[in-house]
Amino acid sequence: MNLRILLNTTTPADKVLFSLLIIVSLSGYLFADKLLPENPSVRIEVNGKPVYILRVTENRTVPVKGPHGYTYVEIKDQRVRISGSPCANKLCVQQGWISSGALVCLPNRVVVTIGKQTEENMPVDAITG
Amino acid sequence: MKINFILHNPEFGPGSLRYIFSVLHLSACLLLLVSLSACSSQKDRVFSKTRVLMDTAITITVVAASQEGAEKAIDSAFREIEKIGKLSDFYSSGSEISLINKKAGISGVKVSPDVLQLVEKAVYVSEKTGGAYDMTIGSVSGLYDFHKKVLPGKDAVRKGLRLVNYRDISIDRSVSSVFLKKEGMLIDPGGITKGYAADKALECLKKEGIASGIISVAGDIRAFGSKPDGRPWNIGIRNPRAESREDDVMATIELMDAAISTSGDYERFFFSDNVRYHHILDPRTGRPASRCISVSIIADEAAYTDAFSTGIFIMGPEQGMKVLEEMKFNGVIVDNRGRIHMTPGIGGRIEFKNSP
Repeated sequence: MNLRILLNTTTPADKVLFSLLIIVSLSGYLFADKLLPENPSVRIEVNGKPVYILRVTENRTVPVKGPHGYTYVEIKDQRVRISGSPCANKLCVQQGWISSGALVCLPNRVVVTIGKQTEENMPVDAITG
Repeated sequence: MKINFILHNPEFGPGSLRYIFSVLHLSACLLLLVSLSACSSQKDRVFSKTRVLMDTAITITVVAASQEGAEKAIDSAFREIEKIGKLSDFYSSGSEISLINKKAGISGVKVSPDVLQLVEKAVYVSEKTGGAYDMTIGSVSGLYDFHKKVLPGKDAVRKGLRLVNYRDISIDRSVSSVFLKKEGMLIDPGGITKGYAADKALECLKKEGIASGIISVAGDIRAFGSKPDGRPWNIGIRNPRAESREDDVMATIELMDAAISTSGDYERFFFSDNVRYHHILDPRTGRPASRCISVSIIADEAAYTDAFSTGIFIMGPEQGMKVLEEMKFNGVIVDNRGRIHMTPGIGGRIEFKNSP
């Protein structure tokens, strides 16, 4: 076919050029994966502003300062919970451990979300109820 | 065709300058093609942002090509939600809803198009649920305090109930005003505002060029379009009896262009003498409704799913299923014995995880 004629008439330099261009284009796939962080992360926001983005694989407890004082966010075994809070009703502490979704302390304006930014395999995209 | 032209044109001898340029041109085209296809697979990503507005957590998720585009759209949707929250805040004295309440029995109040629509939709749902959903419940709901575990006395509830009747809301579209006929009446838009805000946020996202995403206003969810891989969004329905874990789901359901809301007795409640007192009050008794423990409704608009889920929760499974059939809505009802009632249209799209 025409493609064969094309191949016959191209010089070795052309072929090198072609393959080089194809390799460069394809390497985009690899680099895109490398450049975009895919690890799930714990994101902590106060009043809508991010204050921490933490790795879920690192066990730790961080104090987060809100308008009423310190909310304590604990990360352990790839899960996260609010372990202490200055708020009155402690609903945030009662939420317990989660491995996906969000923990919220309304009075202290703290929002903790866990999960990937580009989530493909999350069991649910949102929860009603 | 281009290749043919190049190869059969006598002017294109190998080695000629034009031939080299043509090969270069071809290569460039090929490069562009390959790199474009590489881009498109990375193009659409999911971006998500959570904020506290209207005294609740709101998460907006969008599918977009760039972070900047996503954030711009999400921020504009948040501004819209904030605006609606301010107009309809039951507790803030400056809101339009408070003005309507203050002028109850005195005069009508000119309101913005948003509040007019909100009240109109609320009255519509009241009509369709035989008054089970009724935003004039404010004169009773204000007597309860679920944080301080305050139960009102019987006399106070009886007195409040006299002012509960959605038919006493008078709407004048021509001058965009709302009038409560009886003095002391209070409209509490809590059962519809969050859904309405989700609907309006969706309009904002669409204006910003977003084709798919989810707006979740504390469990009132409006989903549109699909995930980047073309699959529908997966929405979890919270397990009504897993109080310590917010992410424990009873079932997951696939949603594309629709809204879903769930009303449950587990949201704001306290126990007194082993009775669960929760925030969904029956306008006929002034007491928490007890026929259901969880009601999820699927429809086109979140304002409707929000209000109908409350109304049907109060009506109970038998009457509730009739309303769903009449409205052509889908729904899942868990009654007070843990039995699940489901509309036929939901089959195949729902997957149960744990029975409540």
